[in-house]
Amino acid sequence: MLDDHEIKRLLLLTADRDAQAFERLYQRVAPLLLGIALRIVGRRELAEEVMHDAFVKIWNGAAHFDVFAERPVAWMVSIVRNRAIDLISSADVSRMQAFAADADVDAALEHFLGATPGAEDTVSEGQTNHSLHDCLKALKGSERQALALAYMHGLSHGELAERLQRPLGTVKAWVRRGLENLRSCVESCLEPR
Amino acid sequence: MRLARSPKLDALCGEYILGTLRGGARRRFEQVLRDDPLVAQRLRYWQMIMTPKFSNEVEVKPSPSVWKGLERELGLARHRPSLLSRISFWRGWAVASTAALAVVLGLTLLQPAPDTPALTPIARLAAAEPGVAGVSAALSEDGRTLALRAERPVQASAGQSFELWLIPAGGGAPLSMAVMTQLDASLRVPDALVGRLGKGAKLAISVEPPGGSPTGAPTGPVILMGEVGDG
Repeated sequence: MLDDHEIKRLLLLTADRDAQAFERLYQRVAPLLLGIALRIVGRRELAEEVMHDAFVKIWNGAAHFDVFAERPVAWMVSIVRNRAIDLISSADVSRMQAFAADADVDAALEHFLGATPGAEDTVSEGQTNHSLHDCLKALKGSERQALALAYMHGLSHGELAERLQRPLGTVKAWVRRGLENLRSCVESCLEPR
Repeated sequence: MRLARSPKLDALCGEYILGTLRGGARRRFEQVLRDDPLVAQRLRYWQMIMTPKFSNEVEVKPSPSVWKGLERELGLARHRPSLLSRISFWRGWAVASTAALAVVLGLTLLQPAPDTPALTPIARLAAAEPGVAGVSAALSEDGRTLALRAERPVQASAGQSFELWLIPAGGGAPLSMAVMTQLDASLRVPDALVGRLGKGAKLAISVEPPGGSPTGAPTGPVILMGEVGDG
């Protein structure tokens, strides 16, 4: 379980060129980031290449990290996902087999998201994850599938259209409406009662 | 239209996190993120509500060669553990920002006097993101007028205002100094706070509902912060 405060502390020390903190940060987050990269690029050697490039960027860019971020891991997740997405878009890599494995997208999503809050979570963290979980379930199936495939496997609009066998415009609308519905659902769950 | 006020902002934040924002569109969005603290703030909000905790089942152990490659390429052996790692985190952060401020103030003071010579620069408020417009603060000799100058004009969006806070040198709760609709402002220091803008005090700007914080303490995100130097 990643501790946001600890991750933020290690990132700020990394910005201060503390190599030991950077190593501890790597030990903490590398397995998660590799898992995320692997789902996008589909091959371990490519995923490890993504990791290398991403951690070079994290070391060099740590001073740019947003100290007000409440989920510091999101910054690193974005770096890894964007690097992975760039790699597969530039390489002539057919990825259909990589994500064809997820025939049951909903089950794959459950594996990806993690359990509902545990006793060790702070109320707000646990609640956010819980709401995200419930709100994804509450989305229309088409919207949930589009979001899950794009997030887990880094599919572009075009690849989504191919995978879901629907016109590009339809898929784009699913993504757009899915994001909007997800946000308003999570927000309504988080509002103080 | 500025992206911070555009109805497209939420859609862009969402697609950026999802990964469907690609190529030039993604690079342009990342540039705006660096330039506009309100856009960065919105993305931060989206990341807060949309980043899952991730299941442990996602994790895959990297081969040892990945870390070895990083150590080699980045020359990590050269970097000894920093001084900061040996002191507590918040204290460490304060030291770092003071050092950065000293450099900034040094540079500011070397520049020709501003066109309002009665004001002395006392602090530079910086955002965490590089490229985000910083704000310099200058105080009149009698300590009753504070001028804020943004490197680039930044206006609060509809439904928001900026609130300036004084965090006393010895610590303690932030004290509200002013509510503003833009970061460029000349304001009268509240009587109770005159004389409290000495060395070690901090100035911070948070984003609040119109009219300022409803509670008397910062409720929105702090977008800019800086420590008062020797002046």
